Amino acid sequence: MAEEEDEAGFDEDLDEGAGGTDGSHGKRKRLFSKELRCMMYGFGDDQSPYTESVDILEDLVIEFVTEMTHKAMSIGRQGRVQVEDIVFLIRKDPRKFARVKDLLTMNEELKRARKAFDEANYGS
Amino acid sequence: MADPARIKTDSNSDKLAAGKSPKTEDSEEAPVPDADAESKDPSSQSLKHEHKQDSVAGDDDDDDDEGTSGQPVSKKLKVEPEKKKEKRQKVDEDEIQKMQVLVSSFSEEQLNRYEMYRRSAFPKAAIKRLIQSITGSSVSQNVVIAMSGISKVFAGEIVEEALDVCEKWGDTPPLQPKHMREAVRRLKSREQIPNTKHKHILFN
Repeated sequence: MAEEEDEAGFDEDLDEGAGGTDGSHGKRKRLFSKELRCMMYGFGDDQSPYTESVDILEDLVIEFVTEMTHKAMSIGRQGRVQVEDIVFLIRKDPRKFARVKDLLTMNEELKRARKAFDEANYGS
Repeated sequence: MADPARIKTDSNSDKLAAGKSPKTEDSEEAPVPDADAESKDPSSQSLKHEHKQDSVAGDDDDDDDEGTSGQPVSKKLKVEPEKKKEKRQKVDEDEIQKMQVLVSSFSEEQLNRYEMYRRSAFPKAAIKRLIQSITGSSVSQNVVIAMSGISKVFAGEIVEEALDVCEKWGDTPPLQPKHMREAVRRLKSREQIPNTKHKHILFN
């Protein structure tokens, strides 16, 4: 039933006209429309993707973030989301794991570089 | 946050160097074992930037290959890391060069697409707001960085799968909702989409 719910959910999004609460996917303000369009083009879609497809993708991404957040809250330190939790959750997926490691390493390097740069300026 | 590979490739013509071909290259953006002649794990392979002496993730890998021969562990520790770092640097440099050659041969449309691929990102503020609205407490910046990163990978996986579906069904881009839904269905069956709503009750 849960799987069918997701499919039916997409159709409802397109059809529902009545006012929705915060919980409904359909009535939430679109958070990532512009960025998702660029992203879809970058990943191989047409230069102007369909709005419905962008909406579906946005809903999926928001659901993904929500699920990850809930899972992260339930492991490690309860009620908080920490990087280690995310890394743990993603460990089985090679792409995402590598990407997170990449990003965090890069971030550290950038912080170090900025700090060194600032100290150099301060010294001189 | 600045685009990682862009920092080192300033010496090259433009921001697009050291990237990969547009269509399916999410797998190579976060390098995956296929690029990996030496069967290192992906996280070590992904350090394709100029600070190759960076030992942050490097130390992790050295431990993995340890201790199979009869050599004393300390000796191995000294020799192995340098050899592996050199190998990794060389592999990185090869990869960078190959990327540069590839990107320099892109057509205009491919360049556009590649630029969009590298530059597009979720806005940190919105992601942070979203996470904080779920947790109710504040989250660190690293969490936001990690979450936006994997969300982009996730979006890429869906779009790639949807493009496969689209091609398989004999349609053309732009992608239609039916392609997206079929892609989601396929990814779900491969368990690449997290779903905690459906509880599987073991002994009923």
